[in-house]
Amino acid sequence: MRPVAISVDPPEVSANLRRKARFTLTFLSDPNLEVIRRYDLVHVAAGPDGHDISRPAEFLIDRSNTVRWENFTEDVRVRPRAQEMLAVARNIQ
Amino acid sequence: MADTQTAPGTQRRRINSALWYGFLITLLGIAAEFLYFLRPPEPIPHILPWINLAVPVVGVIFLFIGVWRAFGQPAVYTGKIWGSAVTVLALLLLAGNVVLFRHTRDVPRSAGAPQVGQRVPEFILPDSSAQPTSLAQLFAASADGSQPKAVLLVFYRGYW
Repeated sequence: MRPVAISVDPPEVSANLRRKARFTLTFLSDPNLEVIRRYDLVHVAAGPDGHDISRPAEFLIDRSNTVRWENFTEDVRVRPRAQEMLAVARNIQ
Repeated sequence: MADTQTAPGTQRRRINSALWYGFLITLLGIAAEFLYFLRPPEPIPHILPWINLAVPVVGVIFLFIGVWRAFGQPAVYTGKIWGSAVTVLALLLLAGNVVLFRHTRDVPRSAGAPQVGQRVPEFILPDSSAQPTSLAQLFAASADGSQPKAVLLVFYRGYW
């Protein structure tokens, strides 16, 4: 399974975060919310200075681009556990 | 629920234990905010927001009982001044928790998001090196030759 993080942060901000936190996962930038909007994840005016951002959400996608698992938290403080998504990923052929 | 303080020749005054219970429960309410970082087992994370709301309410109730006793029976119970101060702080904490509760749960429903079993749209976005990267490329073999069976897209709020 390959984790990929997507947000409105521009590439240089993601690169800085990746370096500081020593993350190895891939970061993708969607500053114009093109993909975020297509996935219906726009959180209007929720960012600093009233900018639109993405709401937290996770999708586990197989090679046919089919969603096998997803998570939409009701509270931004509550995030899914890795065991839950790994259990689904192990069953993907 | 109350102990007694005695001194020769003085009227007995009771320790206002309701104030102490309220004070300790309020501290517990503050500490509970940090439980998210300890990654408690399921299903605790899902009920934790409600716990963070309920604990300060219980603390405030005890504090109100204690302050009512302290002012209503000053010859019997202690704690008019410090009880009043802690009650004000607890009310501020409770108000802050209510605001935080509403803010963190203010997320859109995303009814139009892809559902389990549906295919997601293809996309191309720049990575942290500003290189265009497609969803198909994310399934490509990595440097060690392994090919991922799945990709986990983690959408997050950003501005970190």
